[in-house]
Amino acid sequence: MTVLLWILAALALPFVLFAAWMAKVFLKEFFSGNAEAAIEAEEAAATAAEKAAASAALGLLPAERQNTDSAGPSTPETKAALAAVRGGDWRPAADLMAAVGRDWERRSLLTFRLADRAADDDTWLLAWEAARPEDPDAAVVRARSAVILAWRVRGGQRAQHTTREQFDGFRRTLLEAREEVARAAALNPDDPTPYVAEIWLALGLGYPNAKMDDLWTEITARAPHHYEAHFSALQYWCAKWRGSERLATEFAERAAAGAPAGSLLTALPLIAHFEHDDSDDTAADNTPEMVARVEAALKDAAAADPAHPRLPELRHLLAYYLHLQGRNEAAVEHFRLVDGHVDALPWRYRNDKAEYFCQVRDTAVLEAGAAARAGMSGAAESL
Amino acid sequence: MGATLRALRALVLLSGFYLISLVLLAALAGVDIALYHWGLRGIGAVKIAIVTVLLAVPVVRGMFMLRIPAAEDPAAVEVGEADEPRLWALVREVADASGTHAPARILLTPDVNASVREDAKLLGLRPGPRTLTLGVPLLTGLSEAELRAVLGHEYGHFTAGDTRLSAIVVRGRAQISRVVEQFHATADGKVADERERQERTAAKRIAKGKKAREVDTRHTGALYRGMARLYTWYATVYLRASLSTARGQEFAADLAAARIAGRDATAAALREIPVLSAAHGFYLDSYATLGLPARTLPPRGQFFGGFGALLTARAGELEKLRAGLPEEPESRYDSHPPMAERVRRVEALPADGRGPEGDGPALALLTDPEHTLTALEEAVLTAEALGFRRTADWPELLNVAMAEGITTARTPLHRALTAYNGRPATLTDVLDAIDEGRLWRVAERLPLSEEAAAAKGRAFRQFVRPALGDSLRTMVLAEFSARSLLNWEFSWSRAAVLRLPGAADDTGASPEDALEAAVDAALADVPDTAPLRALLPPTAVQPA
Repeated sequence: MTVLLWILAALALPFVLFAAWMAKVFLKEFFSGNAEAAIEAEEAAATAAEKAAASAALGLLPAERQNTDSAGPSTPETKAALAAVRGGDWRPAADLMAAVGRDWERRSLLTFRLADRAADDDTWLLAWEAARPEDPDAAVVRARSAVILAWRVRGGQRAQHTTREQFDGFRRTLLEAREEVARAAALNPDDPTPYVAEIWLALGLGYPNAKMDDLWTEITARAPHHYEAHFSALQYWCAKWRGSERLATEFAERAAAGAPAGSLLTALPLIAHFEHDDSDDTAADNTPEMVARVEAALKDAAAADPAHPRLPELRHLLAYYLHLQGRNEAAVEHFRLVDGHVDALPWRYRNDKAEYFCQVRDTAVLEAGAAARAGMSGAAESL
Repeated sequence: MGATLRALRALVLLSGFYLISLVLLAALAGVDIALYHWGLRGIGAVKIAIVTVLLAVPVVRGMFMLRIPAAEDPAAVEVGEADEPRLWALVREVADASGTHAPARILLTPDVNASVREDAKLLGLRPGPRTLTLGVPLLTGLSEAELRAVLGHEYGHFTAGDTRLSAIVVRGRAQISRVVEQFHATADGKVADERERQERTAAKRIAKGKKAREVDTRHTGALYRGMARLYTWYATVYLRASLSTARGQEFAADLAAARIAGRDATAAALREIPVLSAAHGFYLDSYATLGLPARTLPPRGQFFGGFGALLTARAGELEKLRAGLPEEPESRYDSHPPMAERVRRVEALPADGRGPEGDGPALALLTDPEHTLTALEEAVLTAEALGFRRTADWPELLNVAMAEGITTARTPLHRALTAYNGRPATLTDVLDAIDEGRLWRVAERLPLSEEAAAAKGRAFRQFVRPALGDSLRTMVLAEFSARSLLNWEFSWSRAAVLRLPGAADDTGASPEDALEAAVDAALADVPDTAPLRALLPPTAVQPA
């Protein structure tokens, strides 16, 4: 009888395993436990609160009070023009565009801000166009709004998370935008802004490199050290669009080396590095080359016109890389100068850009405080 | 491992299929015996006993599922030796040349497939009578020499191979595959998928005379699914273990075919079959079943008969298809090696001097092809489909089908506006809504993708414009169609082309271009319906 039982037991083994597996499947369906995650979140919340308190003591703003629409504060005139177009009145915008005139840096930023509004609702722009059919200022806002609209249809996800419908709409809208861009360029032959908009057509429509080089000749003939033009072209030369890490870095280094101090083009090598850096640690950000790039950018920022519309963008990058290089006091300096506006690299690619900005900023503040205390108690400075 | 050993292993695994169930049952019984033996009584023991019985149910059921229902004949025309002497002569000749016995029956089917079925017994351990199933599209698309190669391949399965056992393995694989299919069908809800798919292609289903299988939802319990997974897993192991034998068999059957029909004809047939299969699927979808929604069929005998005309008209396109053979097997367990490799192996044979014999289509073997094609329609189409009206020719079928499609179409825009207005919408209503600036409010009622629904303002409009354009165009065409002003150009070699009345204007823009421009203008950010209203037939739209 015992032998029989042993045989039965041996035979039963696979069945027991099978039953256990089925039980596991059942249990899995009933309990999808997330207790661990909750504990982790609690701990993270505790440290975050501590950090946030340190930042608040310095007068820095919490995430919910950060402006996520621009990299830095707008001028009162720009604010007034944007407020007016929201109410359907295009005249302050038209007047401001006329006043900015041939200041291409300010013109490209103002055009972008207005076009960004027009990509949502262009009633005011239609009224402007109806009142002044051949106005090159209205035309350039129209062109940029068409390009922005196309990118909105595409959405900000990577290609594999973008639907067929989005790609089709993207392409269709870009092709329509191409005509508007050509019209704007024809109406104001000196203006580089329509060509800056065209770079974003080049990204979306996949211009071959040769065509991009032609476009670049048009731009540099009009504005040799234009920040937004360089920023946009660098995107084109990145590996994720039509270039490679080598092409992007080469382009960025060449632009930075050839630009006068204060042009802010020293941001380009930092961006080229940021776009191609997939590492999880900060080793790649602490190479002698990167330290030199940050140094050059610091000098560039110091030499720049404090009213340069793109200065906050460079400061955001500087704050980030100074922090990664362990120079937290200098980082906090820049964080304080840009605090309140977070629509800039390196935060811009994240959905929670304000939270991300505050998290890095708060860490920098905390570490800077700790370093300062250590310094006062006599620890060796290593510089 | 030699071929004999491999076959033997597969055979042992095959019997393991039953063994696995017996082991499970023995284990369950063992639990009960152990309980009794140790003198356990009381409520707990009774509970355990009940659980073991419950667990045994799916096991027993699983064993019964291994019993395969008798193979059914597909919808087909059976042709006797008296009806088709030349076809039968060819079939016998190839069987003799292969050294195996000829089939007892020949069935002509509407599929692009040829097979010899043997109603084997005991999971393929004992042979039975043979039935040759021959697809009429093969007769239409292959030459006589190529047909000979196809038949030679099928018989090759019974004769080629180095052991008697490998033939059994091949039969066993066929049976096991069906068992797995059955498990999938009942356990994974594949029946429901299948039915959904069949309903989507209702036209095809009617064409092939199939009925949707009954959905069986009784077996949705997790225990049952667990059982099904166990058996499926075992079947997979079995199929994998016997795969090399099966693929070797395919190569051997190809060689047998080459011996009988010649190297070049065999290679040509192998290249041709995937092409015919793709072309026939396209033919059924785009031509034969075109008129089904309008309850119309092509002329008598043309439902399958038009395929030949399509093959002739699209010869160039097919040539391109022939160049690209599939390099990958259809699935990991497909007994057929990739077609490209099979063709390579056949073409590597020494030339036998027979060349690609240039005889006509194999359809000429039939005594009266017209009659057979008509008989096939009657055998495989459903009674409902057979009651449909027959058109005089193909162009008429196209016009009837397109008119029906356009006038009965309820476009998304039509449905959205009907919901918005609370009354059935007309084209006039659509144009009025556009003029009143309400189009984008209406558009929010269209079926939207997640991305489109999330978009606002101009981005939303860009998302919905293509759908609105399609709807609006269809509604305009329906107005033309209702007045018999539309014409469709039929062609065997390209898609139907729409013809609107009128001639090209001064700038060389055709009426079709003018329609496109008018639809675009009506959907622009600053809409203008005037060009569209001007295009419409006079009585269609009264001014708002």
